[in-house]
Amino acid sequence: MTDLNILTEHRFVVTTSALVLAREPQDAGEGGGGGTEISAMSVAGGALSSMLALNRSASNAMNRNRNRNRNRNRNRNRNRNRNRNRNRNRNRNEIGGDDYSLGLEPWRERRELHKEYDKWIDLPVTFPPTATQLRLQTIELLKKQYLRTDPRQAGRVEEIYRESGMDLSGYLRPLGIEEEGGYDATIGLVLLVLALCDEIGLTYKERFSVARPNQVEPRLRPILANPAHASYPSNHSFQSFSVAFIFSRMLPEHPASTELFRSARRIAENREWAGLHYAADTEAGHDLARMVAPVLERVCKRQMLAALREWI
Amino acid sequence: MSTTTGKQIYANYNALWHLQTMGVLDSDQSPKGWTLPDPKQKKTRVAVIDTSVAVDHPCLKDAINRDLAIDLFSSPLGTFPYQGEDATIQIPDLNLLTDVTQALPEIQNIFVQLQDRLSDGSSARYKGIEPMTSAAFSNHATAIVGLVGARPVIEKVSPDYSQSGTDEVEFPLPYMGADPTCEIVPISTNFDDDPEMMIVAFLYAELINADVILLPRDIPDPQRTEPELNQETVDGIPLGDAVTQVYVTERQKLLWEELAQLIVNISQKRPIVCAAGNSQEEAAIYPANLASDHNGIISVGAVNAKGHRSGFSGLKNLTVMAPGNDSELFDRHEVRLDEQDFEYTETGVPPVNENEKYSHFDIISTDVPGKFGYSFSPFDADEPEDGLREFGSYFCRFGGTSAASALVAGFISLGVSTGAVASQAGGVMTKSWLLSKCEQLSDGDQTFAFPVWSGSASFPDS
Repeated sequence: MTDLNILTEHRFVVTTSALVLAREPQDAGEGGGGGTEISAMSVAGGALSSMLALNRSASNAMNRNRNRNRNRNRNRNRNRNRNRNRNRNRNRNEIGGDDYSLGLEPWRERRELHKEYDKWIDLPVTFPPTATQLRLQTIELLKKQYLRTDPRQAGRVEEIYRESGMDLSGYLRPLGIEEEGGYDATIGLVLLVLALCDEIGLTYKERFSVARPNQVEPRLRPILANPAHASYPSNHSFQSFSVAFIFSRMLPEHPASTELFRSARRIAENREWAGLHYAADTEAGHDLARMVAPVLERVCKRQMLAALREWI
Repeated sequence: MSTTTGKQIYANYNALWHLQTMGVLDSDQSPKGWTLPDPKQKKTRVAVIDTSVAVDHPCLKDAINRDLAIDLFSSPLGTFPYQGEDATIQIPDLNLLTDVTQALPEIQNIFVQLQDRLSDGSSARYKGIEPMTSAAFSNHATAIVGLVGARPVIEKVSPDYSQSGTDEVEFPLPYMGADPTCEIVPISTNFDDDPEMMIVAFLYAELINADVILLPRDIPDPQRTEPELNQETVDGIPLGDAVTQVYVTERQKLLWEELAQLIVNISQKRPIVCAAGNSQEEAAIYPANLASDHNGIISVGAVNAKGHRSGFSGLKNLTVMAPGNDSELFDRHEVRLDEQDFEYTETGVPPVNENEKYSHFDIISTDVPGKFGYSFSPFDADEPEDGLREFGSYFCRFGGTSAASALVAGFISLGVSTGAVASQAGGVMTKSWLLSKCEQLSDGDQTFAFPVWSGSASFPDS
């Protein structure tokens, strides 16, 4: 039962430093009608800091709003990041110099992932296509193999080579943080999702054990060596869509949250252009990413929170 | 050259200023021109298509319909997140005879699948897939639904955290949404560019007979997000197609087409309130830009606490404007800077500017309690099971046209709850009622409609 008297007897006042609970005097004549502030401090155990909690995001609220607002006037936003450490690499305590890599094995998250084994080991991924259907799908791949030689696809070929290694530009560029310091936790989150999904994806690949496209259709000449595991589902697809699902779950207001899904699809489709995956592998990777996302969210919660705080 | 920086002196303001501005609450925060409906009356149903919600927030827990809440993030035909893992569903009074899918063949197929999925005795967890609805990352819709239908409540101080010297054992949270009696059905979504998910979301809102549908986000239709793109060509190819980095299948194109029609069809039955976008869009983002005199789609822009268009909002061609926060502007049209900002400097700022239009008022709403959400708790440990140990993390600063759209959805809901407009009156009729409640205001040479329940609009920062 809604009790609106609570509103006339008390009110929240927004001050520069905090949200303050004020009590209206019972008799308006008393105390000049100005109300008395209580004292959120009378709630012991961190009450003072509770008052500050609204404030804690306040100085950053501008940044948050600008992210959400898709404000074209972003230059002022960037100014605010000036204080962040610009020298990305110097700030990173991990091996690998310019390469992106996790500094430490994510043992904590792997432990959590294995505690949740039952939740991700048997998700209802559509079973692989039949041999006949796979052969039919190779026709599309042969077309792509031919089109690959078109000079207009040169850029795609470059992407394929780049994405065969640990390349994060497909994720970081849409987010606008590729060369911006201060997003270490976000980059760490991307790497973490990639690492965990690699493991999850391999278990599904092993289960279905689908031959690579050029094993079905020898006229296919992949431009990269076949990786040493089965085709279905595509791990490039699964991993990159997982990054999109997890990042957009964490910060849906980011103007590029949907663009991340398009980037993910591009990365996945590039593996078809490379002759390494069927279209069905791409779809299965996408669907697995969608279903496994609730597990990943629980496992990656700490890192997601740390990453979120870089943005709001 | 001057290098003055702002002193960060900002006037205090009431956290519910937006409801006072819209004439819903009086200056003493009592209802202005309305009374609470009979609690036995059927609650007005607001379907919110957005992220998931922190449903245990004390101001929200009575507002959320947990039986009907559906999650589409992780499973195509939805999971019922607040029912047990092994529970089965039984949804009364589904609007199965609706004609909104007529002449939309692809959507009819999806509709048949959805009806089957929602049939009595189906599993709450679709094929065992878990929902993506933890409170932790439910920031956006938690703020949204608070603006629609939060209730003021009195909470206990958590006994575990109350130490000697505590003189308050009960703690009021004097916050409410525009309609503190409505029921909210969260339809949570992801941000994949997937037309099927949005089709299911809208069909579900239609099936459960929502009185109001709120969409405080965009829909990433590749053709409609920026329709002007395909008026341009490059090498004889429509620009939109030329720059796409992924191939859109023929079926997907068809689904996007049908979705646009579905939204219009459903809006004939019930109003669909949409955020108009945060980049000063002249005719709003998709699908707010579908709003016309002939349908029930309502596009909502934002005005700041001084009554000026919010820096990020459009104004032209929108149905209504509602309270919002503000953002700075530094462009050819307008220089509007926050002179109190610590980083403010006069250098380069033209002497004739519109800084006085800037308002520091934010929209305050409910937030995910604890260390998650837009405002953080100082505690890392989980929230106490019983009562509060702080309240700062339960509320946040919010804004954008999504906040404004939520206020308008709540305003319409209040109209339905108090009988000012009939439940299920139809989208066009409800929209006319909304417009009849609007005051015509102006900002410079532009006029706009602003919903006011009672009295006249008053802007507290002016």
